[in-house]
Amino acid sequence: MLSKLFRKKIVLASLAFALLAGLLASCSGDDATTGGAETPEPGPTTTAESASATTEAVTEGTEAVTEGGEAVELTQSAESRLQRVRERGNLICAGRNDVPGFGFQNDEGRLVGFDVDLCRAIATAVLGDPNAIEPRFITAAERGPTIQSGDVDALIRTVTWTTSRDAQWGNFAQTMFYDGQGFLVSNDLGISSALELEGASVCVTQGTTTELNLQDFISQNNLDIQVVTFEETDAAKASYEAGQCDSYTSDRSNVAAIRFSTDNPEDHVILPETISEEPLGPVVPHGDEQWFDIVKTVMSILIYAEAYGIESGNVPTEATGDPKVDRLLGFDSSFGQSDLGLEQTVAQDIIRELGNYGEIYKRNLGSDGIGLTREGSRNALWANAPCLDCPRGGQIYAAPLR
Amino acid sequence: MAFEEQAQAIPFWRNTQVLRWTAQIVSGLAAVGLVTWLAIRMINAIQDRNVPVGFGFLSRSYGGPIGHHFLPYNPSTTAADTADSFLYSLLVAAGNTVVVSVIGVVLATILGTLIGVGRLSGNWLVSKLSLSYVEFFRNVPLLIQLFFWLTVILALPPVRSGIQIGDLFINNAGISFPWPSPTGVAPTVSWLVLAFLSLVAAYFVYRRRSRLEIRTGQPFYPIVSGCIAALILGATAWILVTAITNSVPFDITYPAPEGRFGRISGGATVPAALIVLLIGLVMYTAAFIAEIVRAGIQSVRKGQREAARSLGLNQFRSLRYVVFPQALRVIVPPLISQFLNLTKNSSLAVAIGYSDLLSVAKTMTQIGPALSIFILVMLIYLVISLAYSLIGNLYNRTTAIKGR
Repeated sequence: MLSKLFRKKIVLASLAFALLAGLLASCSGDDATTGGAETPEPGPTTTAESASATTEAVTEGTEAVTEGGEAVELTQSAESRLQRVRERGNLICAGRNDVPGFGFQNDEGRLVGFDVDLCRAIATAVLGDPNAIEPRFITAAERGPTIQSGDVDALIRTVTWTTSRDAQWGNFAQTMFYDGQGFLVSNDLGISSALELEGASVCVTQGTTTELNLQDFISQNNLDIQVVTFEETDAAKASYEAGQCDSYTSDRSNVAAIRFSTDNPEDHVILPETISEEPLGPVVPHGDEQWFDIVKTVMSILIYAEAYGIESGNVPTEATGDPKVDRLLGFDSSFGQSDLGLEQTVAQDIIRELGNYGEIYKRNLGSDGIGLTREGSRNALWANAPCLDCPRGGQIYAAPLR
Repeated sequence: MAFEEQAQAIPFWRNTQVLRWTAQIVSGLAAVGLVTWLAIRMINAIQDRNVPVGFGFLSRSYGGPIGHHFLPYNPSTTAADTADSFLYSLLVAAGNTVVVSVIGVVLATILGTLIGVGRLSGNWLVSKLSLSYVEFFRNVPLLIQLFFWLTVILALPPVRSGIQIGDLFINNAGISFPWPSPTGVAPTVSWLVLAFLSLVAAYFVYRRRSRLEIRTGQPFYPIVSGCIAALILGATAWILVTAITNSVPFDITYPAPEGRFGRISGGATVPAALIVLLIGLVMYTAAFIAEIVRAGIQSVRKGQREAARSLGLNQFRSLRYVVFPQALRVIVPPLISQFLNLTKNSSLAVAIGYSDLLSVAKTMTQIGPALSIFILVMLIYLVISLAYSLIGNLYNRTTAIKGR
């Protein structure tokens, strides 16, 4: 009797999975044709119906929701993310609170960091309040699913911009920090190059390109390295500090933060190799171009504010006569604020509350933060006031504000 | 005639036959409707958000690291060959989970039984210690226990200054010890086949002699003679294989530190993360199993044990031959749930740095479609769990009270 029951169970479970797999397979294919077969209301025949459903949806939103998948879609897109954020009154940013410099709870319990400040800048732009943020702390592995679900307004959590992520996850707004993967080793190992890591064990944090870059590096150089993967940075760090791993690898910014937080930073050295390109910046969900443009514009504002020498302490209150500065601050002409649904003086608010890119960098990553040198690195500005055409060697550059 | 009239007289809303069918159909439709509705919602959401799905990626080469693996695994693409595919990499990871689960289940059952019996011991200290064990380990979340054991292991010296006792190396990267390693395909495989046949033969010796013992009442030492048969046959096979292939089937290799970082090579190394995971899972699950065993033993009437004792069986034998077989009926079904729990709890491995199925799958989602990968992971866990249920139910049939 038991075995009969059991057999039934197996059949039911496999049926359920077959159904699930079948549905997925069909929607992964040519969606217009195969998807329609499963959906009760196929697209082409009900265009008129769904159009009328839309007009209803605008007037009586709740009724339209019950009309089926398409109506739901339309009501969703009818309300832009900007509107939703303003109705909600806060900005949901997926971030982290475990890495000094990028996202960290300081001694007073306040959430600080480079990524956090970018989130605050967007909140200031759309809500006028840098504290109107709702942070969601997620692990590295959760980043893709989180931004894909669209439940957060922005993902600002040391995310490396890659083409497949751009295609699958969301839109990458702007590179705000050029990073690259490096290795941290203890001084007493006496090695000076990552190529000398033959026979070592290396700790990495999971759910990042770090693991795959490391494997590429191992394969390319035919090294025998044991990879130990942790879910959380904290556990990986503990393992490195206890000597279970000979080296810790991550983005150099993260490696610097880990080194900074060890008992004796001088006992650890970051090896010279950078084994990957890691441009970091905010990501927004797919499907709302206005929101994507807003985030990009906010990043431009931060960068040009530094280029023009506007700091949180010296934001002019009236027109300066310099057309570029006046355009940035919204005194004279516009750079598209109203098209994006932003206040004319949005840049003034942002800079007054958070400062320009340079101030944010210095406060979190630079001399007042974890001590990453900016001068001469890729993270210096491309252009610097007063001579905008005199290259400074850096790569921080954004769409001009006009 | 009268019967027909009576049958027609029952209105359909009071006909139990109709009502039963209606209830079945309505609940069936409701279930199908709910599933369909959820599926449609899911597909809409997937299309809305452009989440990639499909299983075409499975045959592509993966090339991500798997820190520790029992099955052979090649992550690197070279001129000579390509990296293993996504599908095979998932199977390698599933292999890790299966090994952890099987070892964990065996150890947890042994430890749990000992503690369960200990709780019923007449010795005050033993019973109170068992009680404290159970109450402590089942009331602290497993993840915290795992971090605790990780901290304990990390407190060991690192590899370069590790402890060495003879050929045993203990450090915070793991424990290394001498281990027989296969010398080649021909000698190893042929001996393994012969050894398996020897075991089968030994089993038949055991069965025959135990039947004789039962029939005649004379001692025939079934276990001892079975073991002797296995040893003699196995050793003969070893000598034969060595003579024919000119190579011993297995050669013991000894661990030794190697290279600048002093990593131990040779012998066998159980990585620290695996030790932590196993200790955590076994200690945690054993607490639950101990309670199940205690309940099982207590479900057997006191009279049974007293009768066994009055027949002259000693404490151990009355437990082994009288109480335990009856207790198994109560023990086996909830025990299987504990095996399943242990298997599923092993997915906490990534927190302490062990590359189990979920850990590898999560890394894969960085370059593969997350939804498809997680569906596969769910399927694999389902298969493992169903396998346990199957074995458990088959065994349960042998212990359940036979219907009369």
